[in-house]
Amino acid sequence: MGLYFLDFVVFVGIFGIVALSLNLEFGFAGLANFGKVAFFLVGAYTYALLSQIGIPFSLCLIAGALVAAIFGWLVSLPALRLRADYLAISVLAFGEILRLIVKSEIWLAGGDWGMRVAPVFPWMGSELIYRLENIGLVFVCLFICFVVAQLLANSPYGRVVRAIREDEIAAEALGKDRAKYKAQIFMLGSAMAGLAGGLFAQYLQYVVPGMFMPMVTFTVWIMVLLGGPANNWGALLGAGLVELFDRGANIAKDYLVLPVDPSSLQYILFGALIIFVLFYRPQGLLKESPIKTKALELARYERSVAKDKGS
Amino acid sequence: MLGAVGLTMTYGLSAFPNFAHAEFITLGAFIGYLVAEQLGLGLPLAFIVAFLVSGVVGFLCYRGVFQPLAKRGASIIHLMVASIALGFILRHSIGAAWGWHPLYFTSRWPAFDLGAIRVTELWLWIIFAAMAVAFVMHLILTRTKIGKAIRATSSNPELALASGINIDRVIWITWFVGGGLAAIAGIFRGADTQIWPMTGWDIILPMFAVAILGGIGNFYGAIVAALIVGLAENIGVVALAALGLSTTYRMAIPFLILIITLIVKPQGLAMLFRRA
Repeated sequence: MGLYFLDFVVFVGIFGIVALSLNLEFGFAGLANFGKVAFFLVGAYTYALLSQIGIPFSLCLIAGALVAAIFGWLVSLPALRLRADYLAISVLAFGEILRLIVKSEIWLAGGDWGMRVAPVFPWMGSELIYRLENIGLVFVCLFICFVVAQLLANSPYGRVVRAIREDEIAAEALGKDRAKYKAQIFMLGSAMAGLAGGLFAQYLQYVVPGMFMPMVTFTVWIMVLLGGPANNWGALLGAGLVELFDRGANIAKDYLVLPVDPSSLQYILFGALIIFVLFYRPQGLLKESPIKTKALELARYERSVAKDKGS
Repeated sequence: MLGAVGLTMTYGLSAFPNFAHAEFITLGAFIGYLVAEQLGLGLPLAFIVAFLVSGVVGFLCYRGVFQPLAKRGASIIHLMVASIALGFILRHSIGAAWGWHPLYFTSRWPAFDLGAIRVTELWLWIIFAAMAVAFVMHLILTRTKIGKAIRATSSNPELALASGINIDRVIWITWFVGGGLAAIAGIFRGADTQIWPMTGWDIILPMFAVAILGGIGNFYGAIVAALIVGLAENIGVVALAALGLSTTYRMAIPFLILIITLIVKPQGLAMLFRRA
């Protein structure tokens, strides 16, 4: 049971990174990335391939993130200047094609059977130590991504990105190149997803194409929408809740006797949950955080000082 | 093509891509299977029942989910997510009801050789049905009041509303017809290959390629685009086989067309069919 819990913590960490990356793209920049899983896959397979030829794990992880970023740039290129739905469709299609490629190129990636991946930490003879080591690694990465996302959200750059989300034409009128900003955010988000993919691959020690179904993308969307778009804490909260729900459903499956197939029911509940959230709480559990800037703090401080004087 | 026409019409009218359209196709195939095989009532009745059921489901999806969401001011991204969620609900409900094993229509279609190609009668029926639907839809869109109302709403909803057209009703009817056409496409697809809960999802991406190449919401564009994508895919398979690549890459061909369309001419072939 304790081991199971540790496994859960690792998954929350990995998907927390993916949720943060989607939050950057969708929450802050308003980009509909319906192919998150594609970049997750790129990261995982890059890690798997590079680690096979004996490259140290830190370089493999970074390479996974970089390759994912390059793919993100390439894929977003034709669709960024157009409406959100074109991007959604082309990225979704890209993810499906990529899965087909790793499935059919057996020489490269082992086809349907996938391939073994060398773990970062050598086997110490204990499942407990292995999982604790992984928790450490994953959460260091998560922390870095979180800090980057927070800094970005509260920087002038983040304000420009939010402005583009709210009104593209107004932002462009102020001289901001919206396609450039969108492409940069998309690359950063893809890089984070790639990093998470690498962590995922080395933790499980194998990759198969079946891991990278469109359902993964959708799960991450639920995390972000449930937790609260444009709020990094919300993305983490969403990742924790959705994983908890997923695990809970898996455990409940063994104890409940239901007339319908429980795994189908789980997907149906996921779908119903998302529609429910969209209907009744489109801003998610945590609202968009106000931007923290020096000027705002100063203004608040002066206001409080003025109030003190007045009283 | 049959599926893509319904997709492009609802896409154009409601201004968001409905990913659950895949599930209308699947549902149609399964309802057809239920009527024709499990109840043994024959194919013609199967088409009618599937058309009605998928049409009603399409209408209910719009009326129950998308319309209220749009009225609450949901963005296009929210609507897309909702349609994927709805797709999951439908697909896994179908999976729970019929199971995940592929099913086959038992009826055998006589086949004959046409030169070097083996043609089954089913294909002729599909071609015939596609042409008949195209023709009937053309008549409806140009000759009847509701067809004109659909075109008017598609090109300018506010103006249509101001001209006394009941926009809501027009959109409902379009969703009904779109769902129904998807069902017919689903039965044909099922009869040609197999039926399982992923039937619709397997062909949704080529259909989006068709919808975008044809120009979103453009009926005639979709027909031409369906021809182009279909041809390209089949020529491409031959080319892939000749190059020694796996033929599973046929899915990449519509994707390539999609990307090229987005780069070269995002409005698709619509400019060829400017409505008079």
